[in-house]
Amino acid sequence: MKKKILATLLCVAMAATMLAGCGSESASGNSGKKTYAIITKSAGNPYNEKEAEGFKEVIESIGAECIIKHPEAATADAQVSIIQSLISQGVDSICIAANDENALQAALEEAMDAGIKVSCLDSKTNAASRMTFVNQAGVQEIGQALMDAVYDISGGSGDWAILSATSQASNQNAWIESMKSIMESDSKYANLNLVEVAYGDDEPQKSTDQTQALLSKYPDLKVICAPTTVGIAAAAKVLQDQGSAVKLTGLGLPSEMAAYIGDDAAHSCPYMFLWNPIDVGRLGAYTSIALVDGKITGKAGDTFEAGEMINSPYTVVGADDGGTEVILGAPFKFEPSNINDWKDVY
Amino acid sequence: MAGKSGRTIDATVNTTWKNRIFSWEGMLLLLFFVINIFCRCISPNYTIINVLREMPKYLCEIFLLFPMAYILILGDIDISVGSTVCLSATMACITCNAGLPFPVVILVTLLTGMVCGMINGLILTKFTELPAMIVTLGTQIVFRGIAEIVLGSGGSVSLSNTDGFRAIAGKIGPFPYVFFIVIIAAVIFTLISTKTTFGRSLYAIGSNSKAAYYAGIKVQKIRFIVFTITGTMAGLAALFLTSALYGANTTTGSGFEMDAIAMAVFGGIATIGGKGKLLGGIISAFIIVCLRIGLGQINMNPQVILIILGTLLVCAVLIPNISGKLNIRKKKA
Repeated sequence: MKKKILATLLCVAMAATMLAGCGSESASGNSGKKTYAIITKSAGNPYNEKEAEGFKEVIESIGAECIIKHPEAATADAQVSIIQSLISQGVDSICIAANDENALQAALEEAMDAGIKVSCLDSKTNAASRMTFVNQAGVQEIGQALMDAVYDISGGSGDWAILSATSQASNQNAWIESMKSIMESDSKYANLNLVEVAYGDDEPQKSTDQTQALLSKYPDLKVICAPTTVGIAAAAKVLQDQGSAVKLTGLGLPSEMAAYIGDDAAHSCPYMFLWNPIDVGRLGAYTSIALVDGKITGKAGDTFEAGEMINSPYTVVGADDGGTEVILGAPFKFEPSNINDWKDVY
Repeated sequence: MAGKSGRTIDATVNTTWKNRIFSWEGMLLLLFFVINIFCRCISPNYTIINVLREMPKYLCEIFLLFPMAYILILGDIDISVGSTVCLSATMACITCNAGLPFPVVILVTLLTGMVCGMINGLILTKFTELPAMIVTLGTQIVFRGIAEIVLGSGGSVSLSNTDGFRAIAGKIGPFPYVFFIVIIAAVIFTLISTKTTFGRSLYAIGSNSKAAYYAGIKVQKIRFIVFTITGTMAGLAALFLTSALYGANTTTGSGFEMDAIAMAVFGGIATIGGKGKLLGGIISAFIIVCLRIGLGQINMNPQVILIILGTLLVCAVLIPNISGKLNIRKKKA
């Protein structure tokens, strides 16, 4: 009998604690305020968090409500649950950094059918699942910048490798494809030899392991290019700790990379690129607002004002996949001369 | 001293009305209502229509719970089901994109799952000394690996023709088809486990497989059948998951195996085998789903939701243990 009593007590106690714990968090009611949601790729991704920060700042500045949602895992499955939950809550817009191009289509179509304005930022979905996409920089521009960096750092010849995130991250794959096609199209890069594309899955430990594997597999390796913030930070630490002669470039967060950026042999990364993720978030927010207000519909040729952003007003343009996109601008170069100004910013 | 199964004569005789209510399943049912009332209180959007609309993706995991409960009752474990779902979903998308008629797509999906299950079953019944945990850990990696190769470098495939999957994602009123199929499957699996010789054999094998063997139960045949059913159900889950995603990728179905095991264990099914009822697992599955939906609607951090679910699970395993110790102390006194 004690078992039953204990079970009953526990149930009651649990229900009570949960009621007490969540009672204070009143749900976003129908107060007439517009609600804008942003869905990141995963929790604990510093880059995504900066985007969400910029997004929130703009949304709150117009007095609307902002919901930031992190999925429980960096998978499309987890994002589908979140989209469904947001449809239930009746939000006005969803801005999502997609974990998979295709597997969100059913959920996002349902959201659009429910009248929710769907846009993507950072990493896009397929054209049928979105109204427009906030692209941090044109694929071609990033591919070119990274390829030139590899050419410059390697001295124009030798082995180099790519350390990417997951094998299905759509932005990573687009950049890698772009780099490969640039390398093939110009004889200037003929002496460069891409030995491997390694996948660190945007996990620090796995990226570290993959970097070490690259170093042991290819003794003649000259340059590693990591177009992912998690990968570049992990690789930078490995190379610098081992005092390796292999140099690094790619896309990284200044705050995480400041200790590794330098021209001398003691530093592993001469320079790297990135755009301002806070600006990506801000532009995402302005795009969402313009969609909800009906100023744009996501068709190519639409233009909208984006507050105090440098390139405002922005124009929606056609994207390679048949959908549309809004391009933030060219990537920014972080080098020893300016890294100290940026490392505290993001 | 009762056997591992707890099915002593004493325990089976007095299944009175009162005992039923105060059983583990009765408590879970109570908890289910408490959770629902709680969610309704915290979220104004927690309505039947919204819950049913959000449910299909979660229901896919419940398909895996049924056979997983059987496997746990047998004293085995299968951690390859998530990968089986991934491979089946991949095959579903590829055959559908190849333009094959939809019934063929369904067949291929279920067959893929079935073959995966049969592979597990074959290895485990031909080499009975191998632990199921290790074998299915291996096949987990193999199945997902095959899916990754089939998916190619992009690691993701989308449906070019979604008509068939749109049809199975349909609804009768607010109830999605998959809801009815889950309920029907729940009834069938529960009846098999409680009313048939096959069901009783599961408990016998889980309690003591040697004794069951000497009592004339075809232990290895039953294990093979159960693993095959598991694979087939994973195929079914993949079918409905695809209808909720319109695509598949290398992470599809990851973690499903652990969710299914968690639902079963929370429902009172012991991983040592021979103990617990499927009904408990089904109720606890709905508890977990409702809690996830409710807490998701108030935008609680998903990591916090996971912590709450984890805590619930630990409590669920602890309670019988603690009360068991109390009983022993009482007897000594």
